[in-house]
Amino acid sequence: MEDEIHVISMLVRNRSGVLSRVAGVFGRLGYNIESLCVAEMTNPKISRITLVSRANADFTEKIKKQLDRLVDVVEVTELTQRHSIQKEMMLLGIYMNSENREEIMQAIAMFGCKIVSIRQNYCIIENVGNRGETETILAYFEPMGIEELARTGMIALQQHKNGNDDEQ
Amino acid sequence: MEKTGADILLETLAKEGVEVIFGYPGTNSLPILDRISDSPIDHYLVRHEQAAAHAADGYARATGKVGVCLSTSGPGATNMVTGIATAYMDSTPLVALTAQVTTDLLGSDAFQETDIIGITMPITKHSFLVNRVEKLESTLEEALEIARSGRPGPVLVDLPIDVITERCQSTGKKKSALAQKKTANRKEITAKVREISRHLNEAERPIIMIGGGIKLADACIPVSELIEQGQLPFVTTMMGIGSVHSPNGFNLGFIGTHGSELANRAVHQADFILAVGTRFSDRSTSKIEQFAPLATIAQIDIDPTSIGKNIKSDIALVADISEAVNELIPLVKKKKRSQWLERIERERSNIEGKHLSNGFGQVAKFIRKVQEIMGEDAIAVADVGLNQIWTLHSWRSNTPRGLLTSGGMGTMGFSLPAAMGAKIGSPDREVVAFSGDGGFFMNIQELATVSYYNLPVKIIVFNNGHLGMIRQYQDLFYNARFNACELGDKVDIKAVARGFGIPAEKVSLDNSVAGIEKMRRAQGPYLLEVTVDPNNYVFPIIPPGGSNMEMIYGRQK
Ligand SMILES: Cc1ncc(C[n+]2csc(CCOP(=O)(O)OP(=O)(O)O)c2C)c(N)n1
Repeated sequence: MEDEIHVISMLVRNRSGVLSRVAGVFGRLGYNIESLCVAEMTNPKISRITLVSRANADFTEKIKKQLDRLVDVVEVTELTQRHSIQKEMMLLGIYMNSENREEIMQAIAMFGCKIVSIRQNYCIIENVGNRGETETILAYFEPMGIEELARTGMIALQQHKNGNDDEQ
Repeated sequence: MEKTGADILLETLAKEGVEVIFGYPGTNSLPILDRISDSPIDHYLVRHEQAAAHAADGYARATGKVGVCLSTSGPGATNMVTGIATAYMDSTPLVALTAQVTTDLLGSDAFQETDIIGITMPITKHSFLVNRVEKLESTLEEALEIARSGRPGPVLVDLPIDVITERCQSTGKKKSALAQKKTANRKEITAKVREISRHLNEAERPIIMIGGGIKLADACIPVSELIEQGQLPFVTTMMGIGSVHSPNGFNLGFIGTHGSELANRAVHQADFILAVGTRFSDRSTSKIEQFAPLATIAQIDIDPTSIGKNIKSDIALVADISEAVNELIPLVKKKKRSQWLERIERERSNIEGKHLSNGFGQVAKFIRKVQEIMGEDAIAVADVGLNQIWTLHSWRSNTPRGLLTSGGMGTMGFSLPAAMGAKIGSPDREVVAFSGDGGFFMNIQELATVSYYNLPVKIIVFNNGHLGMIRQYQDLFYNARFNACELGDKVDIKAVARGFGIPAEKVSLDNSVAGIEKMRRAQGPYLLEVTVDPNNYVFPIIPPGGSNMEMIYGRQK
């Protein structure tokens, strides 16, 4: 079966060790976590972990069950692209010079990114977007010489609280 | 009133019903041990921390209560690892307490500091590092609750020494309910149970498959009722042995690599299998592609990870087994099933006698004699190897918790310490530990514990001078090239036992009755060394990688 991107969203108890337990499930089964994002909820006893991994569907099913078995995991759901909003933020550092300046400014306008810092000729560009947008932007900037890059990894929310209706 | 962590610890355990702790001290656990004589909890000093974990495990398996073991930090904690893993693989409710260096030294490579939480993460259901005395009581309550709830398992609690010596106001707070894992809701249960009953009623060749989960869920009685109601033949997994007693011959034995041919054949022919409390481990299914090829499979388990883990089940119900089965019983029609049952009987008579031709019969007779003399409700604790398979096939366990074995982990050296725990947990039942000479040597130091406490555990060592099962595999599957399987005959096991202060006798398989009777009469512990021919193997057996239908009965040409 083909490996594909899977987005797993979890509510966990906000306690020490929970992240290493979650990561342990992937490590033990030999799977890589592509991105990971953790933050507290309005109830500070609970955190949401949003995690992206590349695996086949069977394997993802297995991982979800193993995660669900962890005592500190309250809820595990898989989010599909069709039924969820998926966003990530990235910061992209790039040197501007007379040669690329024009091109960078055009790209920023075209993609709707923001320049959030310019020190001397080093500028940091911010973008919030879904996975596809992020990759497109990265591919576009690549030849202009990306100096440094930071990505938050994906966060996502299901659009309809009662589940992915046509999957039920 | 202010109390020390040690007092809070012991009081909380006692309040939660803990009566015994199996342990081994170190300077870091002394503050706990210092208070133990003032608490209602008995502490049993074993001779190795691995045995503390196995003893707590045996106690839990025999009683259904949570077993508790305690070690010091560092080497004490790491010595428990095999015992914890053994409990994890068989879902035993266990709480392992490990002392730890003071919180300010954590992470400094202090003397006897080890990251036991990290080491045991994959072999515990959960674990806690208690870093403030105020959290001790609630953490322990939660640890015990996690250990025994849902699919049970070991929980480790790491206790820095300063947390144990510090004082705090005993909270006396009511415990907060632990968030339960999601199981199916009522509507789902009812719908799935209906579906299962429909299949059971329509099936021509149904089989119930019983795993260790039904003992853990206290579902032995409802499952027995289901079997009688539906006239349903059943097989068990290794861990399910003894869960259901059928007066009507519905029990076909246990399946898998070392299982009974009848059970394996019946599963192969079945058109519907209802599996309860089993994960379909590879030991049970053998080659998975050829397992139960004709059957629709329904599965009931409290643990969602056990469902569809190894076998794709057609109907899956995550629920408490008792609850689901009780709902199922009235929906199952009382059927004669004469065709299917007759077919099974024909198989049975074809198979019977095959065992007896290969030396297995002699051992089986011996084990049955032991049971007959020790009493039908005696508890057998099997070790690992040939002796385990002999015991599992021969011991008629008519009572739940009558046969204990390390099924998932296959830990040699399990039987003696687990038998100590079982005996302490159920003093009214005779407890017999079986092992081979290899496994016996692995925790031989526990003879000292048995002797010191005068625990009336009966120990049977099958001495074949070899790692018998290894020898069998080398004989059958490695062209009889024997390597690293001979233990030799230099050790006088009977004399060793006597040296530990345990009366012992050496007997042969065909002249054992007097010895067994003497063992029965002994007030305290007793060891029976039984000489066995190293060519006495277990058959049938499934060659590595084979399917459950490829059982062989002797050397392959
Ligand atoms: C701790 C441990 N080490 C190794 C093994 C692998 N093993 C399985 S059976 C066996 C031989 C057991 O020999 P013995 O205890 O003499 O029993 P027998 O098979 O002769 O009855 C071995 C080494 C194991 N199961 N556990």
